[in-house]
Parts: sequence; structure tokens; C-alpha cells
Amino acid sequence: MDKIKNWIVKKPDLSFAILLAICVYSYFAFTNDFFATQRTGYAIMERFAVLGLVGLALTLCIIAGEIDLSIGSNAALAAVIVVRFTDSLGAVTALLLAISVSTLIGAIQGYFIAYLRVRAIVLTVGTLMLLRGVALFAAEEKTVMLTDFRVPDFISMKVLTFFSPASLLVIAMFIVVGLFMSFTRYGREIYAIGGARKEATAAGIDIKRPMIIVFAISGLCAGLGGCIIGLRSGTAQALGLQYLLLAGTVAAFIGGVSILGGKGGVFGAAIGTLTVNFLNTGLVFNVTPAFMIQLYLGILLMIVIMFQTGSRLFEDSQRRRQLLSDVDLRRLDLLIRKQKYQKPP
Amino acid sequence: MTALLELTNISRSFGAIKALKSVDFEINSGEVMGLVGENGAGKSSLVKIISGFDDGYTGSLRLNGVVQRFSSPLKAERSGIAIAQQELSLIPAMTVAENVFISGEKAPIFATKSSLARKAAPFLSEVGLEDVDPFLPVERLSIGEQQLVEVARLLAQEPQVLILDEPTAALGESDSIRILGMVRRLAERGKSIIYVSHRMDEIFKICNRITVLRDGQSQEAKDAKRLDVSSLVELMLGRELAHMFPAHPKIPRGEALLEVHNVWPDGTLEPFNFSVFAGEILGLAGQLGSGSGDILAAIAGAKRSREGRIKYKGESFLPKSPKHAISRGIAYCSDDRKLDGLFLGRPIVENLSAPALSAISKRGLIKHDKERSLALSNASKFTIDTSRLDNEAGVLSGGNQQKVALGKWLAIEPNVILVNEPTRGVDVGARAEIYGKLRELANEGAAVIFASTDIQEITGLADRVISFYRGMQVGELQLTEINPASVLEQITHPFGVDDKQPEPHH
Amino acid sequence: MSNISSYFSSKIDSLADNYSALVLGLVVLFFAVFIFGMVTAPNFLTYFNLKTIVRDAALVGIMAIGLTFVTLSGNFFLLSLKETAALAIIAFATSMSAGYGFEISFLFTIVIAMLTGSAQGVLIGLGGNPIVVTLGAAGLLYGLGAYWSDNLVVSFRRPHGAEWLGTGSFLGLPNITIAFILIAIAAELTLRFTNFGRQVYLIGANRAAGRATGHENFGMAIKTCTIASVCAAFVAIAFSAQVSSAQVNYFSSEFGSSGDMTIMVIATVMVGGNSIMGGYGSTIRSSLGAVFISSVDNMMVLHGFNSGPRVLAVGLMIVFSIMVFALVRRGSRSQE
Repeated sequence: MDKIKNWIVKKPDLSFAILLAICVYSYFAFTNDFFATQRTGYAIMERFAVLGLVGLALTLCIIAGEIDLSIGSNAALAAVIVVRFTDSLGAVTALLLAISVSTLIGAIQGYFIAYLRVRAIVLTVGTLMLLRGVALFAAEEKTVMLTDFRVPDFISMKVLTFFSPASLLVIAMFIVVGLFMSFTRYGREIYAIGGARKEATAAGIDIKRPMIIVFAISGLCAGLGGCIIGLRSGTAQALGLQYLLLAGTVAAFIGGVSILGGKGGVFGAAIGTLTVNFLNTGLVFNVTPAFMIQLYLGILLMIVIMFQTGSRLFEDSQRRRQLLSDVDLRRLDLLIRKQKYQKPP
Repeated sequence: MTALLELTNISRSFGAIKALKSVDFEINSGEVMGLVGENGAGKSSLVKIISGFDDGYTGSLRLNGVVQRFSSPLKAERSGIAIAQQELSLIPAMTVAENVFISGEKAPIFATKSSLARKAAPFLSEVGLEDVDPFLPVERLSIGEQQLVEVARLLAQEPQVLILDEPTAALGESDSIRILGMVRRLAERGKSIIYVSHRMDEIFKICNRITVLRDGQSQEAKDAKRLDVSSLVELMLGRELAHMFPAHPKIPRGEALLEVHNVWPDGTLEPFNFSVFAGEILGLAGQLGSGSGDILAAIAGAKRSREGRIKYKGESFLPKSPKHAISRGIAYCSDDRKLDGLFLGRPIVENLSAPALSAISKRGLIKHDKERSLALSNASKFTIDTSRLDNEAGVLSGGNQQKVALGKWLAIEPNVILVNEPTRGVDVGARAEIYGKLRELANEGAAVIFASTDIQEITGLADRVISFYRGMQVGELQLTEINPASVLEQITHPFGVDDKQPEPHH
Repeated sequence: MSNISSYFSSKIDSLADNYSALVLGLVVLFFAVFIFGMVTAPNFLTYFNLKTIVRDAALVGIMAIGLTFVTLSGNFFLLSLKETAALAIIAFATSMSAGYGFEISFLFTIVIAMLTGSAQGVLIGLGGNPIVVTLGAAGLLYGLGAYWSDNLVVSFRRPHGAEWLGTGSFLGLPNITIAFILIAIAAELTLRFTNFGRQVYLIGANRAAGRATGHENFGMAIKTCTIASVCAAFVAIAFSAQVSSAQVNYFSSEFGSSGDMTIMVIATVMVGGNSIMGGYGSTIRSSLGAVFISSVDNMMVLHGFNSGPRVLAVGLMIVFSIMVFALVRRGSRSQE
């Protein structure tokens, strides 16, 4: 029991995220008979496949102290590519092509952000537009469609009741990226440049490498997510998928990432995405109109932000107390010496 | 034997300023070499060259007999030279072990927190942190322990030469002792340490030899055993620069303008008490971390204090914010003009009027002619070139920038002027002008309090000195008592130096 | 002692300087192409077409002017302007359709915008990150607007009190264009000649120095957020007047030629050359940015391009202007 308590204190944001997830799920499970069923579980995991990727990507970007506003456009471009080329190249090859393109785009963005020392939020406003234009070109301004809608059905096959190849692939990605972030030097570099960029550069870390890695992963996730959506529905629109940015950002924050960077994790990203999914699905079951869903999401985000602000203020006061007690310790040392010196010989 | 590291005939100029003139420097393996000198003597320039931050010098650098030229700090580190800077480079949220291996060639690619802890253990014990939990985030450690982790990080790259730049500046007694112990152990294991410091007692405790820099020139390294504090001070300070400081007034001082009662700024060890009189220039002497700068910021409302009040103009209060202080006629100029003393991207005119916008505007509208005339008069009072007031403040030289940072306060017609490091990064000519202006302001009835780590500045400018040491207020010197030696003594070893001789090395 | 981070940045600077010649060359080429395109486009340089350009730029332009105050003061961006407009348009249309007339509806809407703007300003001024605060506010505002209108269209009959604003004209210029020009002039005058305007620049240039000279960001955040929200509300009112109706999703997705209003407004501020860190730029720049983007789009339409190349062109413009202004600013920074 104590171990759990310690863990909660050490990771308040993540604990809060888990608490939220449980609360949201339970609420809907108790108020709606259809919610806690196998079919719903499957539907949630299918949603998770796409939103989870975006949430993961944005979590990484925010941990690195940046953000990728172009993620929606990148995903749309990938969707267009995969749908357009499945007929001629087969689904798997088209998928690989789309993902290579999106990852390369991400890496190039990361490179420029680091090399030119431009803030990501500034650059990705431009690339958001740019990629939309490219997508429009690739789609030749129309909605692209598959000729044979059954070709990509395999990615949605039911596996192990709740999952499908798509969601399993995404879960595997989460695991790989999670291990990468926690157990490799490159993952630590990403945390470092996010939470303490000045100190990180002072310690000799070159921001090029972590920045390129983060945005390449973001591109990869965007591409994979776009492909999944494209293959699932069999169609793709160049200007679509813009909602992914907002949904992913909300999921990231709910999952406990901090806007200041350097804090958060892959597990949190998963929890945050699940919470958003629970909310979404549950509200849809209750026949809530789409705009109300957005409202509830906004409220949820506000709650998380207030909690984060509160815990940050608490940490600050702890730090001040630490500073003052540190001072008190030094004081004792030196006052003793002062008194010894001033004692009459 | 040939020295491990040998610098010969090193010269470095920045435009017209000659930072280093034909400097020679050497250090043997297993030796602790003290590097001392006044501010501006060239210590930082020399250290930058050795650690690879600057390769625009002439002269030669030999490491192990081989001529080297480091084009980047990374290259220097690869060759075995590492430097622990004053500014911390630890990632606060990461654990001790993670920080030890956050960068550098020897950092492992795949690692868990535990494996890092294991790998870091020998280096942590080398710096004396064997009892610290390597899984703690470094922000939980005390400043002293953080400093040691910093060194551990450098040691993990296994350097031959370690440069420590003011390592105990922000540390208390026991933490400083730990640092000294670590330095001694490292030297015993064959590492060479360049120890840059102002702390006389520490220099004598652990250094084998001492190199003194003065005005960009070096002298032959002296054996620490054959020197004592006063002879070292003599070597450091050299000749006085005549006529830089205006004469002290002979008139009797006025009443106390501002009284500091038990003001205890965050981060200092005790509450401070003193008064300043109209017409007086009060100097707060103390090294980095002594608290001399903190008390100024606290009086100005720029820094939090645990407790205390100032008595000023009949009121007894503690300013809650700079706005509060400014409204009472208290001007404060911090030691970092780039941080908060100047609006670098804005025109000089705007900089000069910034504290007193209400004075140059009527009903919310700025009167540009009024602003310009105010700027012109204040600029000329501080001898700032008035022909280019519309240029960005960022294009000015250091001396002129400082004049703008100070001069802008004339706009509020202050009664109390607080300045931290009035001439940091300022050339000699501008320094004299700034001193003259401060004297003038005092003569006109204001009270000037300045804090400085520059002993010459303290002795030349102050009518009275209050000294600080490691967060405590330790002494006061009246005009007749002020001289470089007495000031230095109070700020570096007010409680005496241990009589114990430094331990012998090879 | 030495500043390690400034060392690294100076090394990257010199690398970037080598690129800057290349980039500047590309940009000059790019703009030369545009100018060529503009000159050769059929009917581009006609009075009617130029009027169209400015009119098309008006709505985004007014919002961009409001946002510029926020950016100049160093408070980054507001991501909630589109949603503020959504709430405002519902408020206005609801009031108009209830028969309250233009003046009351106008005031009502503006007051609502002032409230939502200052609320966000308070949170930002207390230290909240502008991105996060306005992201959350965006959801809330949109939801409120949708809830209020049940997500339905609210319309009010013609002729109505706002005709003059929506479809009227004066001396041959649409009133909305005149409003754009007037607002642009008023904003610029405010920035140059008022105390408040000066404070915007000072706090934006260096927040710490601003605090040290007695100018706190708290009040500034509130004021600038309010201004931006009011501008968004004005745009909403103007648009509603044009179409005599309102629905909460009018400003979403495909508003304007290049989509997403939030992005277009931010892009306009950046293309104009305002520094995202604050302290540098002006509202005239944002206005010109809006007109420039509009003219490029217009030129391409006249040449017969589809939306694909048009969107691509806008994107390229944004990216290039970001790079150019970043390099130029870095080059002009002083050496110390």
C-alpha cells in the first residue's frame, strides 16, 4: 500500500490521469448498458489506433518543448498517398510509401527547427499549410477512393476480441517508443532539451539529433495514423483529419504532459488517449451532439490544467522551502565559525 | 619534466580590447594550480581558450607535448580537458545518475536508471557523493551537492585536466570543504586541476602553485607554500589606476535617507541591517554568493525576502515589486543589463524613457518631443552619444549600454540609487564617466548604494563600505579604513585563515 | 565567465549565415515569380480587382490586427479567436433575431467578447501558457455557442440594422473594407502614440526589463487579449451582417480560400514580419500581410489555378517568410 502511495506522490500528473480515466469509464459503464461490452471495447481500440498515434506523437513533441501543428496535414497527405497507390502497388507497399514520405517530412522539419533555431510552433504553422497544398496536388483536388474496398479489410480484422492488426501495431509502437524514451540515451536527450534546454546545451547536448528524432517519430505516427484511416474507410480527402491536432493535444495534456516540457511519458499518452476515447464513445452512445462533445473535452482539459497548475505551485513552494532550509543549514555552520572567531582570545 | 599542459605566448584581442597579452601558463599532472586575478584580468579569456570555447587566439597550446588547437569544447573534451562552469548544466528533473551520463562519448546508449546508477557510482564516490541516492532528482540536492554532481559528470568522461571555475561561489562552509577534499583526492590520483577562485583561504589550502593574472598578463607560477595572503594580494592588485575615481566629499553627511531593518532576502543566511545617508556612496563589498547583490534586489522589490522593513521617507515598508519601489523614487539596476536592464531591440530613446512613461505623456498619449528632450538631457548627462538615439540599444558597446541601463533611471528623479556591478563589462573610459556621474548624483542629495566584486571599485568609489561573506554581513569600514587589503580580508576570510599549511603534494 | 549556450548559438549562427545568402536568393526568386504572375494575370491591376483583394483580406486582416497586439506584447498567440467569433456571431444573430436592433446587439456582442477576452487574459497574466489556456477556452467557447443555438442556424430578416456594415458601401468601397482600413490606422496610431502602445513594445521586447521598469505583464495580458477578442467579435458581426444569419460552425474549416481561420490569422501575423517573441513588428505589417496573402491568392485564381496550388503557395509563403525574418533578425543582432 505504501509503495502505491509513494508512486502517486512521485508521479502526481500520471496518477491523476489514471484516476480520470477510471472515473470517465466507470461513469459511462454505469449509466449505459451498451458501454462496457466487447463490441464497444473493440470500437474504442479501433479509435485508439489512430488517436493514440497522434497523442503519442504530440506527447513526444511537447516533452521536447515543442509542438507539431502540421500533424493533421501530414496524416491527410499519407491517407491520400496510401489510398491512391493501393490499387496499383497493393496495400502494403502503398502503406510503406506513405509512411516513408511522412517520416521524411517530419525529419526535415526537425532538422530545420534545430538548425535555424526556429521555434517549432512557428515553422509548423507554415508546413501545416504547405502539406495541405501538397496533399491537394496528390489527390488532384478530389476525394480519392479505392476501387476495391475489401482489399484493406485485413487491418480491421478482429483479433483477440478487442484488437485488430491496426491497434496491435499501434500498441507495439507505444511499447517500442516507450522503451526508447526511458532506456536509451537519445530518449533522455529528448527529455533534457524539453525541460531544461539551456542546461542541456550547456552540458554539451546538440539539439539537432533529438529534434530530428522527435519530429521523425511525429511524422511516422502521422503517416501511420493517416494510412489506417485511409485504408479503413477506403477514401481520403486532402483537407481532412485536421481534428487530429486538437484531439491529440488534449489527449497529451490529459495524459500528464507538461507544457513546460521535460515531463510526461508514453504511458501517460496512452492513458490520455483512452480517456478521450472513453469520453467520446460514451457521449456518442448517449446521443450527444458533436459540439457538446467538444465542450466536454474543453472542460476536461481545463480540469487537467488546473490540477497541473496546482501541483506546480505546490512544487514551487516545496522548492522555496528546500532553499530556505538549505540556507538554515549553512547558517548554522558559519554562525558557529563566526562566533568562534569573535570569542575573546 | 615537461608540463602536461603548456600555453606559450597566448594573446587574444577583441577589437581594441587586449584581453590577454603574451600569457604563459602551464600545469603538471597531479598538480592543483590556482588561477587568481582581479575581474577583467583575463582569467575567463584564458580558461575559454584552454577549454575549447575560443580558438581565435595567437600562441601555442601543448597537451602532452603535442601542439593542439581546439575548435570546439567537444574537441577539447575529447582530448581530455573538461571545465565545470559557474552556470549549472544539470537537468533538474533527472536523477543524479542520469545527469552523470547525460552527454559525452562515454555515455552508454542503452541504460536503465539502475545500470546508470551502477556505472555512475565510482565517479560519485570520487567526488564524495557515495552516500547520495543516485535515484534522486538532482533538484532535490543542495547546491553544493549539485556542484559535485556536475564534476562527477565531467569525471565520467575521464579527463586529464579539470578546470573548476569558482566552484564554491554559492556554497556554504561544509560543502566547500567537500569540494576541497574532492580536489585533493583527484590530484592524488594524477588529475590536473586548474582552480579558479577568489577565495584566498581555499587557494592556500589546496593549491600547489598559483598563477596570477593582472591586466591580461601572467607571471611565473609561484609556489603556494612560499606565499602568504598579503603578498598574493599585492601581486594581484598591482598599481592603482590613478584619476579614475572622483574625490570623496569633505562635507559632513546628511541624515539617514534609508534604513534597512532586518531585511532577510531569500537565499542569504541572516537578516541585514544598515543605513545609508543623503550624499553618501555606500559600497557593499562581497564575492559571488555573499549576499551583497541580494540585499539590493530585496530593497528594490525585485527579490523576495523572508522578513524585514525599510524606513524611507517616513514610511516603513518592504517594496513588493519594482513598480512599488519606483513609485517611491527608488531606482535599481541589476548586475545583468542584458537580462533586465535594457530593451535591446528597442531604440535608445525608448530605453531612456521606459521607467517614467507617465512623465512624458499626457492623458495616455506620448508626447514625443518631451520624450526626446528628456532623452537628450539624460543621455548627455551620462555622456551617451546623442546623435544616434534612434538606434537600437543592442548596437551600443558594453560601456554605452551600461550608461543607458543606468541613465534611464534619471527619468524618475530618484532619491535612492541601487546599482549592482555598476561597471561590469565596461571599458576604462566609460568607467570613469560612470563613477563621476554617481558621485554627482550623490552630491546632489541622493543616496547611492552599489554592490561590487571589484575591489578597486569598492576602494575607489565608496565613502563607506559594508562587507558581506557567504550570505552574512560581516563588517563595516569607514572612509579612512578603506584600502584594498582590508576590503579583501573582510570579504575572503573575515574569520581568519587556518594556520594549517596546505598538504604537500608531489 | 563564458556562456556555453551563447557559444553554441554563435556557431550555429555562422552556419545559418552561410545559408542565409542561399535562402535570401531563393526568396527573391520566389517573390519575383509572384510579381511576374501578378503583372501577367488578366485583370489583376484593375480597380475592381484591387478592391476585391482588400475586401477579401478584411475579415482575416481585422482579426490579425487584434492578434498582433497579443503577439507584440510577448504573449504569443491566442488559439481561441475563431471560437470567440463563433460565440460572438451566435450572440449577435440571436439578439438581432429577437428584435433588439443593431446598436444593442452590437454592444451585447462586444461586451461578451470583452468578458471572454479578459478572462483568458487573467489566466495568461497569472502565468498560464497562452497556447494551453486558449486551447481550452476554444473548446469551451465553441461549446457555449453551440449550446446556445442548439447548433442550429439563427437568422434575422432583411432588411436589418446591420445592412450598412454587411453589404453597404461608401464612396465605392465596401464598408467592411473601410472598417478594415480604419481599424488598421487606429491600431497603428495606438501603438505609436499612446502609453499603452509603448508598453506593448517594451513588455514584448523584454518582460524582465519591463517588470524592472514598472510595467507588469498581468495588466497587459488582459488588455491585449481583450482587444483581440473584440476584433474577432467585430469580424463575426460583419460576417453575420453580410449573410443575415449565423451558425456556430461558420468559421470552421473552409472559411476563406485557404481554410482554418485560426491558422490563417496566425500565419498573417507571421507573414507580416512580426516577431513571435514580441517587441518587434506592427499592426500595419499584419494588415499588409493579409493583403499580400489575399493578392497572391487572387492572382492565382485569375490564372485559373485550383485550390491545391493556391494552398501550396500560401504555405510556401509562410515558411519562407518565417525563415527570412528569422535570419534577418539574427543577422542584425548586436555583437557584444
